[in-house]
Amino acid sequence: MPKTIDYSKLRIIPDFDTQEWWEGTRQHKYLVRRCNQCGHKWFPPLFPACGKCASMDIGWFETAGKGVIHSYVVVTQPIVGAFIGTVPYVVAVIELDDCKEADGTVTRVAGVLTDEDSEAAIGLPVEVIYEATNDPKIVMPRWRITGRVAGAWNFDEHEARGGGSRNS
Amino acid sequence: MGALTDKYCIVGVGETPHMRPSNRTTLSMACEAVSKAMADAGLKPSDIDGMTSYQAGDSTTSAHVATSLGIRLNYCLDILGGGSSTEALVAHAIGLLEAGYAKVIVCFRSMNGRSGRRMGGQVPGGPIPVATAEGDNQFNMGWGWTTPAQRFGMSAMRYLHDTGCTTRAFAEIAVAHRYHASLNPKARLRTPITIEDHQRSRWVVKPFRLLDCCQETDVSAAIIVTSRERAYDLRHPPVFIKGGYARTMTENPGWNYSRPVLHYVAGNYGWKRAFGMAGISHSDVDFISCYDAFTFTTLIQLEANGFCRPGEAGEFVKGGRLQIDHELPSNLSGGHLSEGYTHGIQMVIENVRQLRHRADDACPGWAEGKHTYDRQAGCRQLKRARICCGMAWGYENMASCLVLGGVMS
Ligand SMILES: [Zn+2]
Repeated sequence: MPKTIDYSKLRIIPDFDTQEWWEGTRQHKYLVRRCNQCGHKWFPPLFPACGKCASMDIGWFETAGKGVIHSYVVVTQPIVGAFIGTVPYVVAVIELDDCKEADGTVTRVAGVLTDEDSEAAIGLPVEVIYEATNDPKIVMPRWRITGRVAGAWNFDEHEARGGGSRNS
Repeated sequence: MGALTDKYCIVGVGETPHMRPSNRTTLSMACEAVSKAMADAGLKPSDIDGMTSYQAGDSTTSAHVATSLGIRLNYCLDILGGGSSTEALVAHAIGLLEAGYAKVIVCFRSMNGRSGRRMGGQVPGGPIPVATAEGDNQFNMGWGWTTPAQRFGMSAMRYLHDTGCTTRAFAEIAVAHRYHASLNPKARLRTPITIEDHQRSRWVVKPFRLLDCCQETDVSAAIIVTSRERAYDLRHPPVFIKGGYARTMTENPGWNYSRPVLHYVAGNYGWKRAFGMAGISHSDVDFISCYDAFTFTTLIQLEANGFCRPGEAGEFVKGGRLQIDHELPSNLSGGHLSEGYTHGIQMVIENVRQLRHRADDACPGWAEGKHTYDRQAGCRQLKRARICCGMAWGYENMASCLVLGGVMS
């Protein structure tokens, strides 16, 4: 069973730039911003103009909500009360599968995994799931590992074997 | 060399003790730090006519400090900022001095960084009972990812993956800076540690252990900047501002995590300008300071500022290279990891003291520049301290640098 987050201790306040994104998660859609002029995509939707062409003519792209773990941390000490019962938990930066652009630009998002930290590894595929909160207007995205791949990189294993060759 | 190189100087430094808790206002602490900096320089309140500070909505203002101390200012400004702000305020002071807006400028930071507002939003008693997420926090608080340790940890983890080095490289930084703190009577943590001590310390957020994380303290610190001509009349040998860069940003600064390489940080964009302005190369640098909010942040700044190649800092720092009497001593006061936490200004202060040859250590004659260089006896003054490269950053997205030179340079 995934460890629960006590959403009653968290209040999300959408704003002008983000309210449609939160409307998206409420409908179980994982959106990223997309420029209507040049097609560039970005996350989070806090930024109201295109980082490539500076256009403010912007919309949304509905992703499939699938990606690969690019990096992660294991939080063992809760700072936000909602997570007191969740530690240890994994926050991952996830590179979305369907947002790669021709010039190599990628879109990465972040979120909490439902999986144990021993399961987490850079390179693993994940997909989004949605969790209801006490606020009917706010649905929180969360991520779960969907498979194992050869060469996935786990921190504890890396430390135990004394590091390894460069991967980049 | 730049047109302004060596034309302006740091002439006074001062700070309160690192306290937890201070049980004082940020105004009271700032007045103490500014007074000590004036006394250090041999300046009176009537000599000061510019004052700037940086803060995070957590501190007093220049106007309050000036009013308290009877200083009539021709210029004052308080900016929002944490790490990398001191060096930016020094750059800003050079512009004000050059243009004639002020003649002697104080820059300060005052923060109850432990007993008041803590980084990442943690309240003094522990976790935030009910958190409200608006603005940027909509996209981190909801996933329990708020503190600098949690945020930097993401880049650090990818760094370990990409480079193949382990957290033993982080340990080298903790050991070096703690050793320097052991030679600094002002430091909070003075017991030397080993790499194994680091490896045994408890996790805060993997890949960071407790000994990877800086102190949180209540403190104020101040420096005074003026012209070379004025500096020669003052109490100490002047320390010359040779070059730098100030709050240089990466692309996509507000959201680091879609950049091609997470650990390619802002310093990469600045160091050639700083070194060009100063007319120096890396081999001219006798010692460094490196913003050590975490051990990892020091590691990555060495790469960003060209002291070693990308991915090689782990190898570079092995064997105590950053320790006093080795090739590239770093953070000689103990830094944020072991001395205390001032959002960077303390690094500049220590560098000034080293360049004056007046590190305030256990040597009885330190105030006259008389040192034994006996580390067992608590001397932390470098024998050769002519050029220092001070590196600072906010998040990965923002960085500053200040190259300083002593009178022998
Ligand atoms: Zn565009």
